[in-house]
Amino acid sequence: MYLKNELEKIKSVNLEIDCKNLDLSCTNLLELIDIANEYNCKIISFCSSSSNTIVSSQSLGYMSHFIIENRSKNKFKIHDNTLIFPKTHFHQGTVRSGEYLYIPGNLLILGDVNPGAFVSAEENIIIWGRLLGIAHAGSKGNSQAKISALQLRPVQIRIADKVARGPKEKPQLGLAEQARIHSEEIIISPLDSI
Amino acid sequence: MATDTRVILICSGKGGVGKTTLTANLGISLARQGLSTAVLDADFGLRNLDLLLGLENRIVYTAQEVLEEECRLDQALVKHKQESNLSLLPAGNPRMLDWLKPDDMQRIVDMLKEQFKYVLIDCPAGVEDGFKNAMAASQEAIVVTNPEVSAVRDADRVIGLLNTNAIKPVQLVLNRVRPKMMANQEMLSIDDVTDILALPLLGLVLEDEEVIVSTNRGEPLTLNSVNSPAAKCYLNIAKRLQGEDIPLIDPLEESSGFGAKFRRLMQTKIF
Repeated sequence: MYLKNELEKIKSVNLEIDCKNLDLSCTNLLELIDIANEYNCKIISFCSSSSNTIVSSQSLGYMSHFIIENRSKNKFKIHDNTLIFPKTHFHQGTVRSGEYLYIPGNLLILGDVNPGAFVSAEENIIIWGRLLGIAHAGSKGNSQAKISALQLRPVQIRIADKVARGPKEKPQLGLAEQARIHSEEIIISPLDSI
Repeated sequence: MATDTRVILICSGKGGVGKTTLTANLGISLARQGLSTAVLDADFGLRNLDLLLGLENRIVYTAQEVLEEECRLDQALVKHKQESNLSLLPAGNPRMLDWLKPDDMQRIVDMLKEQFKYVLIDCPAGVEDGFKNAMAASQEAIVVTNPEVSAVRDADRVIGLLNTNAIKPVQLVLNRVRPKMMANQEMLSIDDVTDILALPLLGLVLEDEEVIVSTNRGEPLTLNSVNSPAAKCYLNIAKRLQGEDIPLIDPLEESSGFGAKFRRLMQTKIF
């Protein structure tokens, strides 16, 4: 309601929405976008001090700014390009077909990555579940990045600029595997240590 | 009371998996148990629900006229010839696709909620506007799929969309199950499907040639051919929807058990 009143005053403008420390899901953000559209305003970015909100807004494809409040109550706004996130993102739940995750830093998924889903991280990807979709580690060029999963049977696997198809054989039960670059190729080996 | 009405979206992503057949048969089964049920055809582009229920020639007004306030809701509702507890709200003109918004769907469903205990929405295939509009007005969902890779992939996409729109509970119906193919591992097993989709299985429906016959006649299976395999499955689904705990048929038993073998022997022609 507050937003609607504000928007009535400033029609047809590009907006950046400050979400403070609220944890907002994609549905919440879409509602905000709908309200803005009613007033002919276009949201170009979201900023928030909640990492959940930033993840939601990134997965919707919007620019995101992470706000850190330090002790002296000065706010630092960190621009998208140099977003300093907690080093590892934790994603709980299965990533379903058609869902895309682009994460700076490491990515830890508690759940499966279903066929038709795409997850990408600038560093390593660890999946405590099955990788059946497409995973891209080292997305900005880090060829030291690795992809590990409890069951590694992806449609396609990518590390830095290398691409490989997933293995065809049925996986051995209880054998966690890891994919990494060795001699310019992606190889898959049993997971000995992370 | 309006708040007690269950509004259930029947969707699938992929086309041709059996949404409309399920909607028709589920509608009849619920109506037969004395529950006032409305079925709404949300596929304005390619409408089929009226054909399956055999009510095509009884349609005077459709959802379009109701929304444009050219007629009252009860003038548009078509009561089923034999099951008076079941009413159909026919889909409107395909031109409706140009202007229909989620709010319009919500208006129609709100009107239906006042009169019926169950509102079943037959969703169009795909994940485009038709699906989004239908989803906006629903509380729960039943995802229909076949034990086949492309159907499961599309169902997974749809479930993801239902989840981000807070539709719950979402349950699964596995349609067109062929026990023999499953036993020979030529078809995805039930576990294969539920592993990926991670949804509770509301029921499975066996592949049944009678479905084709019933569609052509406009008489849903659960109306007159209650003993056919698929009809029994639909009836079980209707009961489970209301909370009854009926064990699922094991398709592998269906194809190899003594009962099945005996049945097949009795059906083989000797001359």
